[in-house]
Amino acid sequence: MKWTPLLVQPAALLCMVPAHATVYLSVEQAQHAIFPGASFSPTNRSGVYRASSGGVVVIDRVLGKHEYIKYAVGITSRGTIKQVEILEYNESYGYEVREASWRAQFIGKSAASPLQLNKDIKNISGATLSSKHITDGVRRVLQMYQSSLRGG
Amino acid sequence: MRRARPLLGTIVEIEAKAAPTAPLQHAIDAAFEAVGRVHRLMSFHDEDSDVTRINRHASAEGVPVDAWTIRVLRRARTLFEATSGLFDCVVGFEMMQNGRLPSRGMNNVVPGTSRALEFLPGDRVRLSAPVAIDLGGIAKGFAVDRAIATLRGYGIHDAVVNAGGDMRVIGENPRTIHVRATDPESILWPTGTLQNGAIASSELTGTIVRAARPRSRSLEAARSGASAVYSVVAPNCLLADALTKVLVQTEQADHPCLAHFGAIGVITSVNRQECRTH
Repeated sequence: MKWTPLLVQPAALLCMVPAHATVYLSVEQAQHAIFPGASFSPTNRSGVYRASSGGVVVIDRVLGKHEYIKYAVGITSRGTIKQVEILEYNESYGYEVREASWRAQFIGKSAASPLQLNKDIKNISGATLSSKHITDGVRRVLQMYQSSLRGG
Repeated sequence: MRRARPLLGTIVEIEAKAAPTAPLQHAIDAAFEAVGRVHRLMSFHDEDSDVTRINRHASAEGVPVDAWTIRVLRRARTLFEATSGLFDCVVGFEMMQNGRLPSRGMNNVVPGTSRALEFLPGDRVRLSAPVAIDLGGIAKGFAVDRAIATLRGYGIHDAVVNAGGDMRVIGENPRTIHVRATDPESILWPTGTLQNGAIASSELTGTIVRAARPRSRSLEAARSGASAVYSVVAPNCLLADALTKVLVQTEQADHPCLAHFGAIGVITSVNRQECRTH
């Protein structure tokens, strides 16, 4: 274990990092990652692909904290989730610990109105929020599968 | 190769490098599978998890749980003792009371500490009182360690596993670790470089405070418009994850508990002008 701290970073020395999209997988790579060895055919629904081995891959996107997250859900022929893979996630940047924010949460707070733990400070990290939205998205995709895709 | 999946209530990213002949894809899949296993066993929300079964039934009878759950609970108990209770996984009561975790009908839970944890033969766990455990402050670190161990098992020696900010790196390349400021969004502050180790961070939010001494720096920081991120660098991610509770409550980067486990406390305070690492 070796940690080398960078002690003081004045803002003047920092370059602004442009919006940075991490592309993990293409649609095709995601299909093969979820159902290895299968071939895929598009359906009449955009973003929905049927695997030759049975099952479907649904490409969807949800809004993260700031940007869209593109992800793929693999559903088996029995209607269960096989795998969820993130294709593109714009909020990740390399090796980043949690974000520090100082704007909204401290406004109007003074020593006379001490911070109420867990009440006054609401700071949901981008990754946590994004994960929740993906979970909701996967549920929606499954419902769509059950109402219209299954057997169709 | 770099992959990401939604697990553990966050986005887990695995990046690994290997010789072209190595089964990199299999290795990464298996590493995610290990993280998924921790998620299934140790989720507070999941009705079938070991944690839920312990919270619902272990005050009445010994509940058989997975060997991984026993490992995490034993480490949690050791850390509770070693940190004089600053790290405590028996925070279910407080977390449900302040709405950070759903109670799902667990209305008879009482406050308590990790002293209520009892280990019985045959990988069974009992609670001496109807308390509730939450492994949120340790399981994510354990999951990262399991993912790294899995990758190593496949012969991979250069990798990063990052579970929403709790991360571990292996390999000879030092990685620059950043804190993201949310105002303006685009600034990433490098706080240091890490080689062959783990780092986890915590903020005041979500920490059930067990320290007797009141904190002062966060209020000071609030007044000056800065905010602090408390990070712990440790040999493994379970330790880094759990020990952030010591740092966030004491604000002592040189707290003896950290050194005892070979860990380093890092406090990064960020404002519009600068980022300062202590």
